[in-house]
Amino acid sequence: MRKRWGRNAVITMIASSLMLAGCSSDGGSKKEATPKGTENVVHATGFPIVEQPVDLKMFTRIAPVNGPFKEMPVFQDYEKLSNVKVEFIEAPTDGFQEKKNLLFASNELPDALFRSGLSPLEAVRYGSAGQLIPLEGLIDEYAPNLKKLMEQYPEIRSGITTPEGHIYAIPGIVTLGAARTDKKWINQMWLEKLNLEVPETTEELYEVLLAFRDGDPNGNGKQDEIPMTARLGLPVVAAMSGSFGLDSQLGYNVNIENDKVSIWMGSDKNKEMLMYLNKLYKEKLLDPEIFSHTEAQYLAKQGSGNAGFFFDQTNNNFLSIQDQYTGIAPPAGPNGDRMQSQALPIARDFGAFAITSINKYPEVTMRWIDYFYSDEGSTLLRFGREGEHYELKDGIPFYTEDFLKDITNQAKITPYAGGGAPHLISEQVSSFINPPQVQEAQQKLDPFMPEVRYAAPMFDEQTAQQVNILRNDIDKYYEEQSTKFIVGALSFDKWGEFQSTLKKMKVDELEKLYQDAYDKMQK
Amino acid sequence: MKRVKADSSMALPRSDSRRGSRLLRQMAKRYDLYLMLLLPVIWYLVFHYGPLYGLQIAFKNFNPAKGILGSSWEGFGHFERFFDSYYFWRLLWNTLSINLFSLLIAFPIPILLALIINEIRNKTFSKWLQNITYIPHFISVVVIVGILNVFLSPNSGPINLLIEAVGGTPIRFLEEAGWFKTIFIGSNIWQNMGWQSIIYIAALSGVNPQLYEAAKMDGASRLRRIWHISLPGIAPVVIILLILDIGHFMNIGFEKILLMQNNLNLESSDVISTFVYTTGILKGEYSYTAAIGLFNSVINLILLLFVNRIARKTSETSLW
Repeated sequence: MRKRWGRNAVITMIASSLMLAGCSSDGGSKKEATPKGTENVVHATGFPIVEQPVDLKMFTRIAPVNGPFKEMPVFQDYEKLSNVKVEFIEAPTDGFQEKKNLLFASNELPDALFRSGLSPLEAVRYGSAGQLIPLEGLIDEYAPNLKKLMEQYPEIRSGITTPEGHIYAIPGIVTLGAARTDKKWINQMWLEKLNLEVPETTEELYEVLLAFRDGDPNGNGKQDEIPMTARLGLPVVAAMSGSFGLDSQLGYNVNIENDKVSIWMGSDKNKEMLMYLNKLYKEKLLDPEIFSHTEAQYLAKQGSGNAGFFFDQTNNNFLSIQDQYTGIAPPAGPNGDRMQSQALPIARDFGAFAITSINKYPEVTMRWIDYFYSDEGSTLLRFGREGEHYELKDGIPFYTEDFLKDITNQAKITPYAGGGAPHLISEQVSSFINPPQVQEAQQKLDPFMPEVRYAAPMFDEQTAQQVNILRNDIDKYYEEQSTKFIVGALSFDKWGEFQSTLKKMKVDELEKLYQDAYDKMQK
Repeated sequence: MKRVKADSSMALPRSDSRRGSRLLRQMAKRYDLYLMLLLPVIWYLVFHYGPLYGLQIAFKNFNPAKGILGSSWEGFGHFERFFDSYYFWRLLWNTLSINLFSLLIAFPIPILLALIINEIRNKTFSKWLQNITYIPHFISVVVIVGILNVFLSPNSGPINLLIEAVGGTPIRFLEEAGWFKTIFIGSNIWQNMGWQSIIYIAALSGVNPQLYEAAKMDGASRLRRIWHISLPGIAPVVIILLILDIGHFMNIGFEKILLMQNNLNLESSDVISTFVYTTGILKGEYSYTAAIGLFNSVINLILLLFVNRIARKTSETSLW
């Protein structure tokens, strides 16, 4: 009896699954391409882009500081200009990655992804799966601004093209050097008060931080100074690695010397750096909350004036106390290394925009986005309306003082605040993020910036999968162990074990894949 | 929900199908009952058996554009990759140990609480105790983890202030792997013991009071009465609940663990379900994590069968 019941259950199960299979197998298929779009004339240049209005749905990330996209003047004005009506599906930064992946997994695609932060792997995966369409042809024909930039900076093209020659995602492009690296901000007022010099080496930096901790530089009689802080987790490693001769080429923990790629995670230099950070952490020179505080808390620390040394691209977050801080050059490490290693490539925000296969108007979409790679479009995106939000001084847009009275206004009118928007960031449009103080800080770093910064390479699909499998374990392990080394939860006696585990996880194989990718890029 | 599931699986084998025609005749006669049954059956087919069809992606290289059926076969590659992974043993150990300790420590506590509440003569006090213990059940996981963060903070948390006051050094509870399981299980007990005790209290109230009277006459002490009357009285409920708990043994506390996780306690907080989420959803490795999830479920099924068999052998009570 029991057996029969079992058999019946199995039959029911199979029957029902077949039934469901029938229901859902066509659920994900593409919509028929309607010929409606072809009647509509697409202008190759000038505005409007199309004669008849076109509707597009775009999936986008919305940062906590932003207001709703549909209320941003840039999209309101651009809709009138272009005759393209964009409806944004907004997902907050928290959980964005999850929503984006589910979108692809369920194959319920929007027409395009705006500010999508696709990784090279995702671009290849979804591109070769046919969910994202190749853009190289469209760029040639319908994106004169982007094309010009790619001709001017050839590394953009090599950074976003797959080995098969496809471009599945367009990056945010940053020709302004200062926007590609965090500055090293130190509290100048404290230095003066304690009669200290600007630290030139990591040893001097250590002494300065000690003095910050013990010397009561803010003069309130309490030991509440935070000598050094950084964004949550390991960005502190990126910020300090240059002093220990550790670069970040190819978008990974990679040094390139004489055309030889080496992953430095298991190197002695890395051990030296982690020991240094461990020393800082142990003596409470490095913020003890560095592995638990949130982004907002970190920004609050910047603005409190109680932080001695930290890293940020601009001074927006501590504008009110900006005169206390000054940018410094990277300190020289124990072996004389002195590098600003966290600088990003010109194609800074990879995968900022992509067009999906269900889009009926890829040409229109490409023309729509291309505008933001011109100074004019970028100004509209970043500054809003002339007169209302900004005014021109010598041809350079500046936010009006009236508008800036409430500093939160700025992030409400532009999608660039919060990062990762697909557009051009050039000298022309960066008065807000690149005021004289930031320029000065950048000048201190310039001599130590690497000559070329290679972007993360594009692997072909199979290699990408291989890299992905290797990096899944290795990155997780590296992050976890580095954190432990820094806080002292793991002693440096275990370094040998750390190295051999990395070996076991086939870090050598990964290095070889990066070497091959680099060699291909050189050709 | 888990209880409903158990009930209907009990109901199925009873529908004797030795003779199809007799069954059909019976069905025709009692058609109204079968109509009522139809709805839950459909619900099960659609939401519980239906998704099983998607499980095949564990053996495929799932490509959303091609769909589940269109993706190419991979065989056992994803399983092999998981078994070879550096994290396999850690994930397995953490998953098993967190659940095992939860079961050993957290399972008996609601029973004890129910016995205590049952023994308290003062009705006001026992009601008060019951309310106090089951209120935390209504706090959401996010808030609970927030409370833990605040209370256990090394700088300003009351627990650490207390430790400092008696001369100890503050402990970074949430950043030390060694503390994770204690905190996780401890807070679970705090949150759920009152709620879970309700069913035992109900069972206790069903025990015949004459038994207690008789035992009292025979001079049995209070502990004796608990041991020989109360406990046997609720034993069937205890066993059923135990088996049901085992039924979702491997999936316990996913959200809470995820919220409590950080790089420093991963050593003991990394479990299969959180790993599936971070690798599967966040990194988009659907096939790989479907394989891991399937493996998880298989262990779960084995445990359930095993415990049910033991329960059937050693006592009268079992799920089937």
